Amino acid sequence: MLDLQALTQAVGDLDEEVVVSMLEEFVASDPSGDEAYKVVGACQQGMAIVGDLFEKNEYFVGDLIFAGELLTQAIDILKPVLGGEESQKVGKVVIGTVEGDLHDIGKNIFGSMIEAAGFEVYDLGIDVTAAAFVDKVKEVKPQIVGMSGVLTLALDAMKATVDALNEAGVRDGVRVIIGGNPVNEDACKHIGADAFTTNAAEGVKICQGWV
Amino acid sequence: MTDIKELQNEREQLFRDLFSGKAPKRVPVTNPATLEFAIQYYGEDLAEAQWDIARCEPVFDKFCQEFPTDTSPVGSLRLPAFYQILGSKAIVMGSGGFMQHPEVMGLMPEEYDEFIAAPYDFIIDTVLPRLYTELDAEPSKKAMVLAKAVKAFSDDWATLGAIRDRTNAKYGMVAPVVSLTEAPFDFMADFLRSFKGISSDIRRYPEKVVAACEAVLPLMIKKGKLPNPNILGFSFIPLHMAPYMREKDFAKFYWPTFKTLVEELAVMGQKVQLFVEHDWMRYLDYLYELPENTIMRFEYGDPKVVADKLGKKHVLSGFYPVTLLQTGDKAQCIDKAKELLDILAPTGRYWFQADKSIISTDSDGKVADNLRAVLEYVYTNGTY
Repeated sequence: MLDLQALTQAVGDLDEEVVVSMLEEFVASDPSGDEAYKVVGACQQGMAIVGDLFEKNEYFVGDLIFAGELLTQAIDILKPVLGGEESQKVGKVVIGTVEGDLHDIGKNIFGSMIEAAGFEVYDLGIDVTAAAFVDKVKEVKPQIVGMSGVLTLALDAMKATVDALNEAGVRDGVRVIIGGNPVNEDACKHIGADAFTTNAAEGVKICQGWV
Repeated sequence: MTDIKELQNEREQLFRDLFSGKAPKRVPVTNPATLEFAIQYYGEDLAEAQWDIARCEPVFDKFCQEFPTDTSPVGSLRLPAFYQILGSKAIVMGSGGFMQHPEVMGLMPEEYDEFIAAPYDFIIDTVLPRLYTELDAEPSKKAMVLAKAVKAFSDDWATLGAIRDRTNAKYGMVAPVVSLTEAPFDFMADFLRSFKGISSDIRRYPEKVVAACEAVLPLMIKKGKLPNPNILGFSFIPLHMAPYMREKDFAKFYWPTFKTLVEELAVMGQKVQLFVEHDWMRYLDYLYELPENTIMRFEYGDPKVVADKLGKKHVLSGFYPVTLLQTGDKAQCIDKAKELLDILAPTGRYWFQADKSIISTDSDGKVADNLRAVLEYVYTNGTY
């Protein structure tokens, strides 16, 4: 069994070389599915370190993106030994970039971080209509809806989406968080969202507080 | 007509003074609302109107008349014909009709060496056909596509330019000549390697990223050069990646070639306007080092700190939060303008522009009403 603490630290340090070599060695040792899930957990704890360093302004968005890449790569290496057992999910979240806006970098960072935090993520992509959000909410019954956007027009689309959730009678069943360049407290109130953030790590913490 | 000409001369003088480090007669005002806003505000369909820009002349005329500012708001559209003919993936229209730049990748990581050896050739031969799919064709078809696209581009811009000339003659607005270029690292991120790609590359192939930025620097200088560099023209550089990097990465990858770019453009006798996107408060000491009277339009940050640090050397602009026009009432919107005037006008180097462009309108017209009130307030009260 590999040194889980060392792995967590290497993920936190974003040291790709060390992470990859530890995981490849681990996979070559023919571990059990149980052991493999412990290793996934260690990687997730490493991502929590990344989130903390981001909040302390030691890491920035570019580092979060690389962290997402590193985690994906880690899970790919581990896949052959993970078997069919699914780890317990802590909640469901539907995310998307709202209608009229094609920017998805922030949404993707949030998506990979909240997935690393154990959520099941339904990513509707970019330029997502209010109706598409409503349909997905009805289908998967998430606890959380996350809307993202970069352009100022995204604020109107976010409001239209919350209105549509209301009209469909599903607004009360979910918490709505908005994220992206133009959001702030006033916009959040105006839109009728439950929370806003321009910081993916903080967004994950808010969502964790909701489930 | 003479009055209009005088007004235009007076406005040009504001910018001549501002750009050469003298406090102008009053604070020049630029409209943060764009043509996309105007098209929607006056009831046209944005997606359709951009295909037939000539029919928008009455809209643009009304826009200039009802929202008077010192600079002309007519310009800066990404007209779709050119991009559509090229099969563009780099600039595409969203469902609401707004043209935007999604995450694209024109260069694969294994191609760095080839790119660094001959960046221009590589862009022509490999990157363009990837990002503009209609150019991924036999030479004869490629030539035809390119000819059609350039024709559409020059026709559209000739139309828009003529509308601008006519509205300027009517309302006495000024239109500085503008070129657009990018910091070499931003160009690498936006069109070659993507935000995601470059964020990994600086860890995986740091020396190649440095070499690639150096390799594209001459192209970025050429792209930013005005045909006739002069005090009233500027090269517009929208900054992108720096706030998303650690300072040590910024210092290594971003700053050196960016600084050279601005210096080289300034030496040619033209101004440089930076759109300082996102939060650059960590980098104010770097910005200070840029050539005197570099124009900096800030999106975020503490205007007091920026005025203290940069106000004796550079032209400051931006900060006004356009989302307030959507969420605040008229008094709040004007108070904000007053607050910024109080902080920034004493530097003698302040130009009223907002933190972002306004690209869409709201159903109840609140944004337009607030905007009009703010523009009028600054126009009337913007003294140094």
